[in-house]
Amino acid sequence: MEPLTGMGVMALIGAAATIAGASEDLESDVGSQSNPNSQVQLAPQMMYPHRIFNKAVSGEPPSNALMCTIGGTVASVLMSSGTSIVLALTIGAILAAAVHGTFSVSAHLGRSASQKRFKQPVYLDIIRSHVPVIMGYSFITTFCILVVSYLMITVLQHPFPLPLLAFIWGITVGAIGSSTGDVHYGAEREFQNVEFGSGLNAANSGNIVRKAESGLRNGIDNSWFCAKFGGPVTGIAFGMTVFLSGWITVVFDTTKGDALGWASVIAGAIIVLVLIIWNRNIEVAARNAYGPYKEDEKAEVAA
Amino acid sequence: MIDIAGILTANILNIVLITLGGALISLAVHFVPVGGAPAAMAQATGVGTGTVQLAAGAGLTGLVTAGAMMNVTDSMLLVLASGAVGAMIMISVTMIVGQWVYVYGVGCPPVSAKVKYDPITKDRQDLYVSQGTEGHGIPTVSFVSGVIGGALGGIGGGLVYYSLLIIENVAPTTEIVGIAAIFAIGIFFVNSVIPSYNIGGTIEGFHDPKFRRVPKAILSSLVVTFLTAIMGVLAIGGL
Amino acid sequence: MSTGGGKGAHAQISENNIIAFGIAGGLIGIYAAYFLVDLIGGYMSFLAGLGAICGILWGASAVRRVSSYGLGTGVPSIGMLALGIGLVATLFGLAVGGIAGPIISVISAAIIGYIVGILANRTLGIGVPIMEQSMTEIATSGAIIIIGLSTAMIGTFNFEEVVIEVIATGYMAVIFIAGGLAVLHPYNANLGPDEKQDRTFATAIEKGAIAMILAGVVASINESASGTLTILIGLLIWYIAFTEFYKLVKRDAYKITGSGLLPSKEELE
Repeated sequence: MEPLTGMGVMALIGAAATIAGASEDLESDVGSQSNPNSQVQLAPQMMYPHRIFNKAVSGEPPSNALMCTIGGTVASVLMSSGTSIVLALTIGAILAAAVHGTFSVSAHLGRSASQKRFKQPVYLDIIRSHVPVIMGYSFITTFCILVVSYLMITVLQHPFPLPLLAFIWGITVGAIGSSTGDVHYGAEREFQNVEFGSGLNAANSGNIVRKAESGLRNGIDNSWFCAKFGGPVTGIAFGMTVFLSGWITVVFDTTKGDALGWASVIAGAIIVLVLIIWNRNIEVAARNAYGPYKEDEKAEVAA
Repeated sequence: MIDIAGILTANILNIVLITLGGALISLAVHFVPVGGAPAAMAQATGVGTGTVQLAAGAGLTGLVTAGAMMNVTDSMLLVLASGAVGAMIMISVTMIVGQWVYVYGVGCPPVSAKVKYDPITKDRQDLYVSQGTEGHGIPTVSFVSGVIGGALGGIGGGLVYYSLLIIENVAPTTEIVGIAAIFAIGIFFVNSVIPSYNIGGTIEGFHDPKFRRVPKAILSSLVVTFLTAIMGVLAIGGL
Repeated sequence: MSTGGGKGAHAQISENNIIAFGIAGGLIGIYAAYFLVDLIGGYMSFLAGLGAICGILWGASAVRRVSSYGLGTGVPSIGMLALGIGLVATLFGLAVGGIAGPIISVISAAIIGYIVGILANRTLGIGVPIMEQSMTEIATSGAIIIIGLSTAMIGTFNFEEVVIEVIATGYMAVIFIAGGLAVLHPYNANLGPDEKQDRTFATAIEKGAIAMILAGVVASINESASGTLTILIGLLIWYIAFTEFYKLVKRDAYKITGSGLLPSKEELE
């Protein structure tokens, strides 16, 4: 393959993956998916009933894998019956979003109904307003993942079939979203009532913020906040993962022999090394900026 | 009916390699610093997700890169190395972006609550743990541990995939690629859940006291992967 | 992270009935589809989809029982483990078994599931008394689901055809994840102290119907199976199950309101 073509395709894949990552995280903020949802689930028990969309579709990676795989399957079925590629990917993503919508509805209704003794009401307007947003984000995520998978298979000659590759990237985008952007939602947005940088004291568990800038807070308010930081960085994370893991094999064209293959491995190892050093720099800067939380006991005794 | 004994004796090496790959995945999961749900609220050190999720995400990324490499080379070492690199890139990118969120979005310095001094940087840890939490963020030792975990997981997944792919049979390549990939995914899931039970869902990395439980998980993984390896070899070898 | 109602989930339908329903219904559906597709025609492949729904109901019931103990790693991991075992066992069983393939798959899934259960309890010390039985059940139901949905896609469980039409094309991925989530999601979606067995089961059947519809979509491009009937029956089951689920939500919820403020302090006391 022409190196320039390869780089162009990699750029497109990276861009699509970045959008997928960002929309994945915002979907999980609107619907309160994954680990931060444990606080939303806990709140009514602590006498804090709320109007936040409470869903957890079996963990973020499986739930994203489900919609991407459904999209990949439907698209693959349509393509094999002669539908144009763009239409096939779009219909696949629409069906995936619809299925994801049913999973969201049953999770929210079911979890709210199972909290009867804590007097958590089911607000139907929350379902009407949130589910379309959730489906919209899941459509964007699925479509972008399908674009990534399709380009990898057709242009970069990846041997895996479309549904399988979409499944793997679905798991990965979910794992990344729940590791990065969700922390912004769980550790900051849900607990804006405690001082910035204090971490979440276990005693505060369940005491999530329930009032919004105007009225009562809901999932859409949360996505407004997380769209400023958590969503974009999740996009960068997934984009970087997909781009860097493919980029090293495009720059050092592995089809031209094992020597270039090893060069790509070394390039990957260097990237990882740079990330380790970068992480160390952030760590040092953060320790200096925020300082220790407590005094050294020995120093206190000496004083 | 297929010749069971014949296939097994012809592919004894593959069975051993697959079993080894499964044990490597199991070992790898112990290295990945995962804080589970509390970490997502900056209540515990590590990445704020589940063990299985992160390990699967990294390992499957490794499988994608290993699969791409397998397409163009016969060198087993290169396939394993590219699997390791794919998984390492995924996990280190995830950890560093997670770190951005902890430091810039939540305002917590990365710190471990399990050790007083970071074994690698020798930084004092306990003073930086905020009140009522068990650490937060990803300190250097956990980051390095995660990278090691990613590498081992990628090698393990790549080894399983490679060993399944080179089983002798008469089926065309596309079919073997599909079945080997789906088998590798199945074995990967099994071997990432077993260690996650072993560590109770959370671990900070190789400096965590829970890391000493490793042999139990590896033993369990060896037994289970050995059985699944026999099944996989028979299924693919019979084609 | 279980917030379930303590040790052992409350049940209205006894577990033995569900186990029998899952195994018998699943295998009958799969074999009926296998033979009737040959005898009558491809459109009988929907029977295997019904078999898969039986397996899904059983798997969801087993997940419900084991998860109420609190595993420390969340509900999804046990399902991923069991589905992984089910997948490996299925491929093995179909490869060596021929016509007896589904039965061999089910048996080998049960064996590996049991061994993992023993290892989890004895070696890893997870300390859930029903772990052995639950792992066996979930892995076995996983095998039934995977075979059922594959048969619904192509009208047969002949290994060569499964490899060409289901695995090489990657559709096995959708079986794995849609079947897996149909087992995991019901209990997870109804998690809470006031979880009820019938509501969880209604969710299981609803999600099972979605998996069946997806199998029908794939079947529509295979000549040996017919997608139309599978999709239509799947949609019908989905509609009935969802209506039932919503009825049970209305029965169980504290209050269903179009909109409104949070419950007042007096109300909460």
